[in-house]
Amino acid sequence: MFKGEIRKQSPKNLLLLFQILALLLLLAYEQMHADKMIFIMAMGLILIIYLSNYLLIKISSGDNYIFLIVTMLITIGIIVIYRIDEKLGIKQLTWISLGIFLFFLVYFMVKRLKKIDDWLYLYLVLAYLLFIITFAFGDRKFGAINWVSFRGFAFQPGEITKIVLIFLLASYYSNTEKWRHIKYSSYYIMGVVYSFIALLFLQKDLGTALVFYIIFASIQFIYEEDRKLILYNIGLFLGSGVLGYVLFDHVKIRFQAWLNPWIYIERQGYQITQSLFAIAEGGFFGKGLGMGHPDFVPVVYTDFIFSAICEEMGIFTGIGIVMLFMIFVYRGFKIAISQENRFYRILAIGISTLFGIQSFIILGGVLKMIPLTGLTLPFISYGGSSILSSFIALSILQICSEDMTSREDTDE
Amino acid sequence: MYSILALIFKYIFIIVIYLFIFSIIRLIYLDIKSMDAISFEDRAYLKLINRKDSLPFKIDEHYIIDGDIKLGRQNNNDIVIKDQYVSKEHFQIVEDEKEYYLEDLESVNGTYLNGDKLYDIVKLKDGDIIRIGKIEFLFVNRE
Repeated sequence: MFKGEIRKQSPKNLLLLFQILALLLLLAYEQMHADKMIFIMAMGLILIIYLSNYLLIKISSGDNYIFLIVTMLITIGIIVIYRIDEKLGIKQLTWISLGIFLFFLVYFMVKRLKKIDDWLYLYLVLAYLLFIITFAFGDRKFGAINWVSFRGFAFQPGEITKIVLIFLLASYYSNTEKWRHIKYSSYYIMGVVYSFIALLFLQKDLGTALVFYIIFASIQFIYEEDRKLILYNIGLFLGSGVLGYVLFDHVKIRFQAWLNPWIYIERQGYQITQSLFAIAEGGFFGKGLGMGHPDFVPVVYTDFIFSAICEEMGIFTGIGIVMLFMIFVYRGFKIAISQENRFYRILAIGISTLFGIQSFIILGGVLKMIPLTGLTLPFISYGGSSILSSFIALSILQICSEDMTSREDTDE
Repeated sequence: MYSILALIFKYIFIIVIYLFIFSIIRLIYLDIKSMDAISFEDRAYLKLINRKDSLPFKIDEHYIIDGDIKLGRQNNNDIVIKDQYVSKEHFQIVEDEKEYYLEDLESVNGTYLNGDKLYDIVKLKDGDIIRIGKIEFLFVNRE
């Protein structure tokens, strides 16, 4: 029994070892212009991560692997971001600390809330409100209107809408008896989701539109009783995909840059070809941190972080990241299977699908397996709203992993 | 100087990342293994006789008796069963020198051992059937 207790600690200690080694390397890298501030901050983050991993086992009766996996992903991400741009690295440190704080805040708050599965209309209003905010105050950045600036603080409402969508779908499909008296209620919910997708399409945010569609399709596939709706959904998706390709130029450009980026190497294909060069340059073990040229790839710190990781830390680290995501998504579905409460079960499915499909789309795009659409790699890419919303989703997954049946009637 | 360090560290990083992944996979593997087939060989346990899906509340197929255990509806029990026929604290099994004793904790609906209502502490033997409400457990102790 005691032996098992020690062994259970081992991944946590390996994570700590990894972080300390990275810090040592940083020390060697920075020896000429040593800045004490960054070391204190990095040490602080390591301490926060270690403590939260330790505390979470005590606080939560649920899964204790997902947070561990996420902290590993975050560590790899921040090392590479700091190496690309020191200022961004320091900012990312702050975002992550804030994210972990938010994780615990949401964890305690949402756990207290009762009847959150009844607030369907609230989620609906919230989602449309976030879209209105984006359209009213949005800025165009990298070809898509998905940024809202507020007093010099920019965020992407789309990141939050993803979570609201999962809540909306979970709230609908967990109370099908309640909605049955409304005729064609499933058609209405499909219409609502398609209106979201159309709005995202207008913002030219194709990646997020695809994520929305796949989350909806997977939850619908599992829970919809009217099976022919699923066929309609697939048909409609294929139809609108073809229509989008014919009508909109930005879709066509993405598609052509994917089929043959080499003819467009100067413009549309530049990013993807540079990314391929960077990955090829890294080889199996990489060039070593600080020895490559990840800055050749445009916006490498968000969408293309994976190619920077492959260049400097090797394709083995890249495979490691894919494996970490796979274990993470597997844990998510495992949580969904063992959860008895239907609402939380759908939430767990939605969140696992979100992380799985988002990392699949961007990794596939960077490797030129599928057409490239701008998305962040969850937990690794630089970005405040991406990190914060990912931590909120993780926190909800943590709640889902707990046994809800024993919680409902504790106060009898 | 730094380039040599970077060269060494890249291999170390990869090794540590993979050790991390494998330690997590191992833990998950152990977790799954313990779920569907714990080795019951040398331990005493309670086995559910009812079909699990016929009962409308959360219940496990097996409960290992590790020391003294208490069964009841309240969450602080070792075995929590949210059935209306189960009292807040229903019965307990006490271990004493490799022997197990069953005691009813003044439950409302009573505990039945092999069909007879329990009034005081009884020593359990392998194959005994414990019934509360409509739930039936088989006591297994193969020493």
